Formats: sequence, structure tokens, C-alpha cells
Amino acid sequence: MKKTKMTTVGGIALFWVVLGILLCYGATQLGLGSVTEPGSGFIFFWSGLILVILSFIVFAEDRRSTEEMVHETGDTNWAKIALVILSLVLYAFFLERLGFVMTTFVLLSFLLGWIGGTNWVRSLGVASAAALGSFAIFELWLKIRLPKGIFGF
Amino acid sequence: MLESLTSLAYGFNIALQPQNLLYCFIGVTMGTLVGVLPGIGPTATIALLLPATFKLNPIAAIIMLSGICYGAMYGGSTTSILLNIPGEASSVVTCLDGYQMARKGRAGPALGISAFGSFIAGTVSIFGLILLAPTLADFALKFGPPEYFALMVMGLTVVAYLARKSMAKALMMAIVGIVLGCVGLDPITATPRFTFGMLDLADGIGIAPVVMGLFGIAEVLENLGVLTKAEIFAGKIKGLFPDREDWRRSVAPIARGSLLGFFLGLLPGVGAIVPQFLSYALEKKLSNNPERFGSGEIEGVAAPEACNNAAVGGTFIPLLSLGIPSNAMTAILLGALMIYGLTPGPLLIKNSPDLFWGVIASMYIGNIMLLILNLPLIPMWVSVLKIPYSYLSSFIILFCLIGAYSLNNSTTDIYVAVIFSLVGLLMKKFEFEPAPLVLAFVLGPLLETALRRSLILSDGSFLIFLQRPISAAFILFSVVVLVAPLFSKLRLGSGLSEED
Repeated sequence: MKKTKMTTVGGIALFWVVLGILLCYGATQLGLGSVTEPGSGFIFFWSGLILVILSFIVFAEDRRSTEEMVHETGDTNWAKIALVILSLVLYAFFLERLGFVMTTFVLLSFLLGWIGGTNWVRSLGVASAAALGSFAIFELWLKIRLPKGIFGF
Repeated sequence: MLESLTSLAYGFNIALQPQNLLYCFIGVTMGTLVGVLPGIGPTATIALLLPATFKLNPIAAIIMLSGICYGAMYGGSTTSILLNIPGEASSVVTCLDGYQMARKGRAGPALGISAFGSFIAGTVSIFGLILLAPTLADFALKFGPPEYFALMVMGLTVVAYLARKSMAKALMMAIVGIVLGCVGLDPITATPRFTFGMLDLADGIGIAPVVMGLFGIAEVLENLGVLTKAEIFAGKIKGLFPDREDWRRSVAPIARGSLLGFFLGLLPGVGAIVPQFLSYALEKKLSNNPERFGSGEIEGVAAPEACNNAAVGGTFIPLLSLGIPSNAMTAILLGALMIYGLTPGPLLIKNSPDLFWGVIASMYIGNIMLLILNLPLIPMWVSVLKIPYSYLSSFIILFCLIGAYSLNNSTTDIYVAVIFSLVGLLMKKFEFEPAPLVLAFVLGPLLETALRRSLILSDGSFLIFLQRPISAAFILFSVVVLVAPLFSKLRLGSGLSEED
């Protein structure tokens, strides 16, 4: 357990150090300017540097800490989370192609039926009502332009 | 004083217009609803409704969005008392004695004193706002870029200091927020920065998708598979009006909670959560029977509930008079003001008196609406909690996606929201707090501009921040806040519980 924790702590610190260094590098590409006339990369460079320093402090803090760091990891359903994330990415991809109502109907059916465990008939009913209802509220009432896609709605 | 009262009367004139009344009502109702519902808070709701307000005039829009802020404080107490689950982070403390009161059959007085206490505190904070905001705005006219930079640094260090776990992690999040906030075109040279050639990022990363991801979708993802069914208090709720004894015991805690909440809410970075904990601790200390706290003492409900409401009023002062948000919620409001073409800062009160006074008057009207709404409608709010979480979570995700998309009609913003939902989930797992990130995200561009202008003014000397008394005071305070934990293991936020 302790070894796992150390790996996690080290991994997190390494991530921040790398991010900080990349920021500093990117900032130098943008141009740091001078103290009298700071350039576009000025704030990014100092942010990157502070991030690196802070990551060492966090590493030292976490290493000292006796508590287990990642709470509830055992309870987290990573497979479900991955599926939801994937469904949201697909939603973004198809939204302007298939239109709001169709894409939303599919997404909600999936979230309610597959992820939420609601029975399929009810899921499809609620999903279609919610897709049409939200289209009516946002597009027709609030005049927010939602994508129509190939079906025109 | 007389001038303020005349202005307030003018504000009531504006707030009582039918359209503004309607949006005030929608705001407080939405606020109460999201306050009741665990999983979506006022910050995400404001971001979600932001696109829907573009067609409104800015006054009606800000009236509605402010209504969500303080309405959520009322709603949050309902779940704390009846379910032992804080609907809002700022209602965590109410669980301690509120739920115990409900278990003893005193849910009615607990809900009642919470609503009345909130109303009284809301009134106190509105009067404080009327008195202090214009004075502070006049004072802030003396502020130049160094003072603004120092003030923002102070706000961010206070947020980090109040972090529940590691202050270094909170500072890290503030730095990440600044970096993300500065993505896009350089405000001075218009050079694209970290846009990776994507046109959608030239205007920067939008606040709405970031908040939707961090606060809305991430919350749903975290609860997937781990949420247990909440046990709703089943008994009939009776006697919502506290009796004479309840009032006798609650008057002083409400007064203390109101003042404490208001003055702490004023400080940039403090927000509404920490004052609530301090108010509870204060009441416990002052009580003759501190050992009874946690077993259903009405003082333990009255004081923190008054405190979190007063703190919301307090947080509006730095926002409206200085243009500096003090927490994630007011950070979004700042973003909203900018989107409506208003310039938040000391001149806002002078240039847009209709907005300032109209919003303040609407807050008073909104508090009355909430008092009327809350008590009779409690059974309805409780029934909302019976909606299966699978439905709620699916709708929260859907609304977050619509909110993210509709700001710019861009699917890139949906991708941004999805990315930040994953980031938010990982942050929760590894104990990095999102609030400093969001605050710094909004302050980032302002902070950068103030820093660069200060350095240009001083010909490159960082001493400018110490040579001007106001900025020197802010910087000194920030240094003290940063250094203090080295000498003491105790930090205000370190005692806060995990749930908030």
C-alpha cells in the first residue's frame, strides 16, 4: 500500500514538474520581454517556475503525510466514468452533424438506461421527452441557437 | 446616508418593475432548487444560465443571477436538516445540529429558524452593502495597477490559506488558474498564446465550460456508482414557526452570525464556507452548554445559517465596488458583467447606478420572496429530492453541455467542459481544490495586465508594490498569510470537513 502511495505521490509531482518546465519553455518561445517591458510569455514563465517549486513542496508534504492519499479509489467506478466521458466526446462530435434533438435523445437514453440502470422503455420515453422539452425551452423560448444537423432539428 | 437612501428608493423603483420582479423570482427559485439538490451548486447554475441571459437587459440578468447566489443558501439548509446532506458546501455546519433537531421531531423549528435567520442576516448584509460599497468604491478610485495587482495577490493567497488540505496545492491551483485564464491573445501585443493554432482559443478559454466541467459534470462523475440512496426524513414536518423559547435562544446567535458573516465575506478570498464554521465555533465557545452542540441545539442552526447568508452579501462588496470577486461564484458574476459590456470596478456604481441600486433593492425583495417561498414550499423541495439520482445526473450533464455550447455556439467548448470534468474528478481524487483555480482563472488576465502596467510605470522596479502604501499593506498581508502556516500548524480551512 505504502509503495503504491509513493508511486502516486511521485507521479503527481513529476506531472507538475514537467508541466512547469513545458510552460517555461513555451513562455520563452513567446518572448519574455524585459522587466521594464514584460513580454507575452512573462507571466507564463514565472507561473511555470512557481509551479515547479510548489510541486517539490507538495511532494515533500504528501510524502510526510501518513494518511492514504487517494480516498475512495476502490469505490470509484472507472469503467462507468470512461463510458460517460466517451459518450460526451461522441455527443460533441455528432452534435452539429445529427442535430441537437437526435444527439441528445441518444445521449440521454444511454445515460439513463445503461449508466443509470433505468428500464429501457422508461429511459427512451424520458430521453425523448427531455430532448424535445429542452429544445423547446432553449431554442424556442430562450432563443438560444442549437444545432439542427441533417434532420433539421 | 440620505444620499444612499434616495439611491435605494431609486433602486426599488427599478427592482419593482414587473420584468425585474419576474427574473428575481426565477433567480431565487432556481437558487433554492440547486441549493436543495446535492450535485449542482450555484456556481455551475449561474454559468449554465449565463447564455440564457444574453437576450435580457443586464439589470434583469444580474438580478436573476444574484438571486441564484443567495437563494442557494436558503435551499442548502433544507437538505442539511432533513437529509444530513449539505445541498451546498456552505450549509455543511447546519447538518450538525439541524439533522439532530429533525431526528428529535423538531425539523419544523430548525427549518423555520434557518429561514428567518437567513432573512434577518440577508437584511443586515444588504444594509451593510448599501453603506460600505459606495464608500469603498470612492476609496478604490485611488487604486492604480500596483494596488489592484496587490489586492488580487492578497485574494488568491487568502483562498490558498483557507484551503481545507494543502495550502501548497491550493496555490498550485491558483497558478494553473492564472495560466489558463491568460490563454488566448496577449491583451497588449495581441500575440496568440498557447492556442495551438485553434481559432476558438484565440479569445481564451471560456469560463462557462470550465465551471460546467469542474463543478457540474465532475460532481456527477464522482458520484457514479458510489452514491448511496439518501435517507429522507420521513416524519411530518410541523410547527415551522419557532416558539418564544427558540427565539430567545436564537436572537443573539443570529445577530453574531450576521455580523461575522458579513465582515468575513468582505475579505477577498473568504467566501461563505469558512465564516459558517467560525460562527458555529463561536457559538459553541460562548454557550453555557457547549457539550450539547451537535445533538440538536437551535443555536447551532441559527448562527451558521445567518452567517452564510450575510457572507453572500459581503462577497458582493469587493465585486461591485472593486471589480474583484472573492469566490468562484462571484467570479462568474464578474465574467457576466463583462459579457454584458459593463466594466466592473470602482466606477460601476457611478456609471451604472441603475444596475447597482436595482440589484441591491432586488436582493431585499428576493429575501422576502425566499421567506415566503421557503416555509410553505418545503414539502415540495423535499419531494424534489425523491427524484432518482440517475435522472438528476443525466439532466445535470445535459444542461452543462447546453450551457457550455450555447455561449459561443461552439462544440470546442463542449470538449473543454468534458476535459475539465475529468480534470475536476482527478483534482477531487488527489485533493486539489477547484475554487482557487476558478478564482485565479477569472483574475488571471486582470492580474497579468496590472502586473505588466505596474512594471511599465515603475520602469521595471518591483519596489513599486512596496513604495505605495495601499499595495504595500496588501502585499504585507499576503506575505503574513503565506508565512503563517510555517509557524503554526493550524490554518482556518484545515479543520473543514471533507464533504464541502
